[in-house]
Amino acid sequence: MPQTRALTTPIGRRILPYAMLSPAVIVTLVIVFLPMLQAMWMSLHDYVLFRPKSFDFVGLDNFTKALADPVFWISLRHTVLWIALTVPAQMLLGLITALLLNQQFPWRGLARALVIIPWALPSVVIALMWVWIYDSNFGVLNDFLLRLNLISHSIPWLADPDTALYAIVLTLTWQGFPFFAVMILAGMQAIPSSYYEAAAIDGASSMRQFWHITLPGISGVLLTATLLRVIWVANSIDVIFVMTGGGPGYTTYTLPLYAFIKARTGLDYGYGSALAVCFTILLLGFVILYLRRAGKNIG
Amino acid sequence: MKMKLKSAAFAAALMISTALTGGAANAETVDFWYHFDNPDNPMSDLVAKFESANPGITINAENVPWNSYYDQLYTSIVAGNGPDAALVKLNALPRLIEMEALEPIDARLDAWDGKDDILPNLFDLTAAADGTHYLLPVQYVVLYLYYRTDMFEQAGLTPPTTCEEFRTAAKALTRDTDGDGQPDVYGFGFRGGKGGHDHWATFTLSRDGVGFGPGEMTSDAAIAGTQYVLDLFQKDQAFPPSAPNDGFKEIIGGFKAGTTAMTIHHIGSSKGMVEALGDKVSAVPVPGCGGGHWTSFGDESSAVFSSAKDKDAAWKWISFLSSAGNNTEFNLATGQLPVTLTDSKNWKNHEARFVDATVASLPFAQLLPNVSETADFTNMVWPVNMQRALIGEITASQMNAEIDTLYNK
Repeated sequence: MPQTRALTTPIGRRILPYAMLSPAVIVTLVIVFLPMLQAMWMSLHDYVLFRPKSFDFVGLDNFTKALADPVFWISLRHTVLWIALTVPAQMLLGLITALLLNQQFPWRGLARALVIIPWALPSVVIALMWVWIYDSNFGVLNDFLLRLNLISHSIPWLADPDTALYAIVLTLTWQGFPFFAVMILAGMQAIPSSYYEAAAIDGASSMRQFWHITLPGISGVLLTATLLRVIWVANSIDVIFVMTGGGPGYTTYTLPLYAFIKARTGLDYGYGSALAVCFTILLLGFVILYLRRAGKNIG
Repeated sequence: MKMKLKSAAFAAALMISTALTGGAANAETVDFWYHFDNPDNPMSDLVAKFESANPGITINAENVPWNSYYDQLYTSIVAGNGPDAALVKLNALPRLIEMEALEPIDARLDAWDGKDDILPNLFDLTAAADGTHYLLPVQYVVLYLYYRTDMFEQAGLTPPTTCEEFRTAAKALTRDTDGDGQPDVYGFGFRGGKGGHDHWATFTLSRDGVGFGPGEMTSDAAIAGTQYVLDLFQKDQAFPPSAPNDGFKEIIGGFKAGTTAMTIHHIGSSKGMVEALGDKVSAVPVPGCGGGHWTSFGDESSAVFSSAKDKDAAWKWISFLSSAGNNTEFNLATGQLPVTLTDSKNWKNHEARFVDATVASLPFAQLLPNVSETADFTNMVWPVNMQRALIGEITASQMNAEIDTLYNK
């Protein structure tokens, strides 16, 4: 019966959805998939930009070179640290902010609007602003800590290999927590207030209400927001590039930054593309595992 | 019917001729790339002056940010939408020649009236390895040592002329002025980030037998040069703690703010220095180390690209910029020095003490090797390894070995 209906539907109507979708699909193919394929193709070649005529096929040489490159492993370790510290920190801060913004208090609307500011500012502005905050001579952070006697001398936060990466993690945490706050707040508002009323009648404490009503109620939002942030944070190089350029030495190199520097500054597009492809495969593997696990948990 | 056909033919001919005229007009447009930090950019005045003197040529001058200037230049050339002419430094020449991106200008130079007015030696310095000329000098600077006259006077010091004197001065000028037990004024503002190779080179390449040839960078003298820089930072604490990441903004800002007593830069920053410090700032040639003297000759030239739509028009424009009078206007904006003899004689844009320090530094001013590896050295190998050495991740010997590998692998 459905087959008969399909046959009787005019061809124009059957094509219409595809025609309506095609501009979006074509644009995505051209600006996302085509460069992706180009990068994969380039990663199999020895391609240095200032020798445009030599484009020799080298198979997987760039990939084996990457695996033997100590900077690749340093950058990978930093990337794991970068994601593992930044995303949970953003989520925790976002959760606390959302819980606060969900309370009744005067000027709540204004507070909700103001909290978006770090998210709305361009990354370059944020990076430059924090470079000044961390400045070892004039920075407000050192001044503040010195006045509180928490440190005995100014710390060059971005030039010290022990603090540089963590200083940038803090910057990105500040930039990204509003995203979690807004998402979680939206999730909280979808939880019926009758659940809390019933729990209160049964004598459940605020902590129990949070644990058994709020957290399960926002788990779907949390899982989706975490996945999105992992992908964004993993690919985020602008803040690191502006604040330290990857330095001092390789202290703040992450894999996408290393790929960018190799390709854009070193003009070695073959090797740079191989690094980018390696990172994409690793991230894709993580996303697939996460989705399987998260899907199971939600189910 | 005949009339209609005639009208159609006339219309078609008109359209074709318009298209051809339009094409010819496009061919007379010169896309020119340059980089000016100065907000009082006089390029539009120069363009207007040129266009009124050369009707039929339009200059499309684009100010490209310096930080990504070469990244954009290389990629645009490969993508086929590069400029017709642009400012180019000598260390980019080998790569641009390899890309076959530049147009040789020897024949045009020989036919140009202004050739004899260009400062002697500039054409020798900016020639390609095989002697061909692709670059027309447009400005130059030489790096020298800025120092705080008041701080030197207070400490009873004279400007250093040798590495030994420099170290003594740098240590003496590193002081705790607010009594918190920590230094807040440092002897020297060292540029550990990109572009700082000139500082390191002053203390290393000056030494006898040190260069980029096989084994030269791994020699005892070269390692001693790098170790000298590391000792100033690690043992003497004569650089601000942020030195490993510091770039142009930080070293100039630190000097103007009184955080450092010395730094190395060129005459381009003298105006700002004088505005901030008045007579408390002066300059001398960089100190000599290990038996020699080395400072960086900062060149900037313009070039015609091989893909230029109209090479004659592009040449006319770049030769206009390097001609007497126009070259003064150009350098008033960049704060650097003119390349013509005429303009140099009448030059009054800088305080005499900075011009004197530049002239006194010219005899030993040098350029880095004119080879493709130099771009990698300045952009990647030197900054990363200098930073790693400063933070104690590698030794002076390991850093020099990395540089040797780049040039002699």
